[in-house]
Amino acid sequence: MRGINKSYGSSQALRDVNLKVSTGELIALLGPSGSGKTTLLRIIAGIESPDPGGRIFFDGTDVSATDLGKRRIGFVFQHYALFKHMSVFENIAFGLRSKPRQERPSNAAIKAKVEELLALVQLQNFAPRYPSQLSGGQRQRVALARALAVEPRVLLLDEPFGALDATVRRELRRWLRKLHDRIHVTSIFVTHDQEEALEVADRVAVMNAGRIEQFAPPEEVYERPANPFVYGFLGNFNLFHGRRDGAPRSETPSTPATFVRPHDIEILRDNADGSGIAAKVTHIGFLGSAVNVELIKLDDHQQVDAALTTQAYRDLALKVDQEVFIKLRNPHSFYEDYAI
Amino acid sequence: MAEVSAIKGAAQPAKQRTRKKRSLASRLLVAGTILFLTLFVILPVANVFTEALSKGVGAYVETFYVEKPAQNANLSFRERHRIVAKAARAERTWSAIRLSCFVAACVVPLNMIFGLAAAWAIAKFRFRGRVFLLTLIDLPFSISPVIAGMMFVLLFGRTGIFGDWATNLTWPDPTSIAWQGFEGHWWPFAFTRSESGIMFTPLAIILATIFVTFPFVARSVIPLMEAQGSEEEIAALSLGAGGWRTFRTVTLANIKWALLYGAILCTARTFGEFGAVSVVSGHIDSNDTMPLRIEKLWDAYDMQAAFSVATLLSGLAVLTLIVKSVVEWKTGHTRAPEPRELELKSDEHRSAGDQQVLRLLPGTQGREP
Repeated sequence: MRGINKSYGSSQALRDVNLKVSTGELIALLGPSGSGKTTLLRIIAGIESPDPGGRIFFDGTDVSATDLGKRRIGFVFQHYALFKHMSVFENIAFGLRSKPRQERPSNAAIKAKVEELLALVQLQNFAPRYPSQLSGGQRQRVALARALAVEPRVLLLDEPFGALDATVRRELRRWLRKLHDRIHVTSIFVTHDQEEALEVADRVAVMNAGRIEQFAPPEEVYERPANPFVYGFLGNFNLFHGRRDGAPRSETPSTPATFVRPHDIEILRDNADGSGIAAKVTHIGFLGSAVNVELIKLDDHQQVDAALTTQAYRDLALKVDQEVFIKLRNPHSFYEDYAI
Repeated sequence: MAEVSAIKGAAQPAKQRTRKKRSLASRLLVAGTILFLTLFVILPVANVFTEALSKGVGAYVETFYVEKPAQNANLSFRERHRIVAKAARAERTWSAIRLSCFVAACVVPLNMIFGLAAAWAIAKFRFRGRVFLLTLIDLPFSISPVIAGMMFVLLFGRTGIFGDWATNLTWPDPTSIAWQGFEGHWWPFAFTRSESGIMFTPLAIILATIFVTFPFVARSVIPLMEAQGSEEEIAALSLGAGGWRTFRTVTLANIKWALLYGAILCTARTFGEFGAVSVVSGHIDSNDTMPLRIEKLWDAYDMQAAFSVATLLSGLAVLTLIVKSVVEWKTGHTRAPEPRELELKSDEHRSAGDQQVLRLLPGTQGREP
């Protein structure tokens, strides 16, 4: 994919997007709403066309001018878009029955293929049911089977788990990962859920305001974010402006902004080596698996959020209004001029 | 615990009171509705049937069918004249029924096509003037049918804008289609009559009826099409289905009940249309549709015959109601949750999921340790 631009009237939804996906990869397009990720997906699918000059290649062939139906893509919608009046069987068989007469498989072949797909999505006994008789997770699996029936070159999923509840969503995305490991179809999925993207994808493209900010494997995106936006979007953070104590000092004259994750803030009862920052505990939120501690730095009264493991919290025996020292682990500095 | 029960104790009588009040109010409303319906709907309809049968079943049947007297029957001139007049009356009534059916057979399919096309354009595409088009579709609802009829007179009448073209237009009368055999022709049917002009012919009646009944199909299909969006069509296209297959197996299958519903309303209105048809028919007997025929019988002080024809229209109305409720029941049972509902649901879940993901974010949950 090269130089994709897309404008709606005066607003530009995509600015010069370049993306190269290898065969068999599972890619996540991650970004806040309005960042252009769905638009990009729809352009790849051929539902929308890019502004002149944008080109899309599948396996080296230019498909920019190819119709949606001839691109051989599988598209999975957030709201399933199953054919309501057709049974699960007919839904999955639709793509096979839609082929031109000379390529169309025989009824027996269609039946075998549909049964194979139903087994793949673990819905063997649901063939005669109608979509309205299925749960959300089941519907989405049918939608996936329907998309896979035509053996697509690329599988595109638009917020596939967005309409499901949290538990089903987590279950289904693990299942998707396993499924992908089995069938290895090149897949691109759109999500606004950073956890989902990091857990499922081989590589994550973080998008913002129509641009791809970073395109890298999950660990790299998380550990070495390219810019403050990526850092901020992938989790909570504390922001320290200027050259604060504990932040890495920089030789450049511009003031760095330092980002630290709440779980990378260490709380100490005493300032043994003198590098700690004095702070006061203002609130403690107990979550079971972790404890949120809100602090205020004593020097500039800036709020700092820390996340401790329950064990660390017990060892420290923190109380509200207690004065402690904090240390920053693993801080990320970005320079103001590099910020968005 | 005590607090909870106290609240419960306070809430319950209040709840009962409102329920009691509401039930009184609702009973009054129901009684009022029934009274109103009895006075303005049930009584008049019942009256149609009693009037039609006021001179007995024989007279009722004679409105539509008069038995020919036996060849050797000894009848006075007066009696013969009476029978001939009745037979002529029955023949004109039949001609009205035939014309009404013919008009409906032309108008309903055409309006299904037009309505579907308009609904498709409005529901699936966003374009400049879309709202204007939507308003235009509703125009026949807000225009008096008489005005609609007069518009056609102004267009196609002798002095109208297309007057010269329209009056010289000759077209075969489709009701005169007859078998002519294969000898010397490749097509065994032929029209024995042709008509000229548009005004004051069945063609004008069809045009006026199309205008008046245009909104029904479009209006009943648009909301459903809009609610369903075009995701299913896109899904079908992405699976390699052609445009026609997509339309047939996805779009049409999804809206078939709404389409039928619109067609039923359209049919009912076609049979009942009076104003527009009255103007463009020119009050010529052969152009009478059933409502026009009823009016003519009424004007001739032939109340019983007028009511007899009216029973047919009433019967059609009852039939329409039955079919309509069956269709409504069907559509009510096959409708899937609307996308908006799903959207709401997904937002709920999303926030729940986010809470789990962002459980390290302080301030999102005000839970005390």
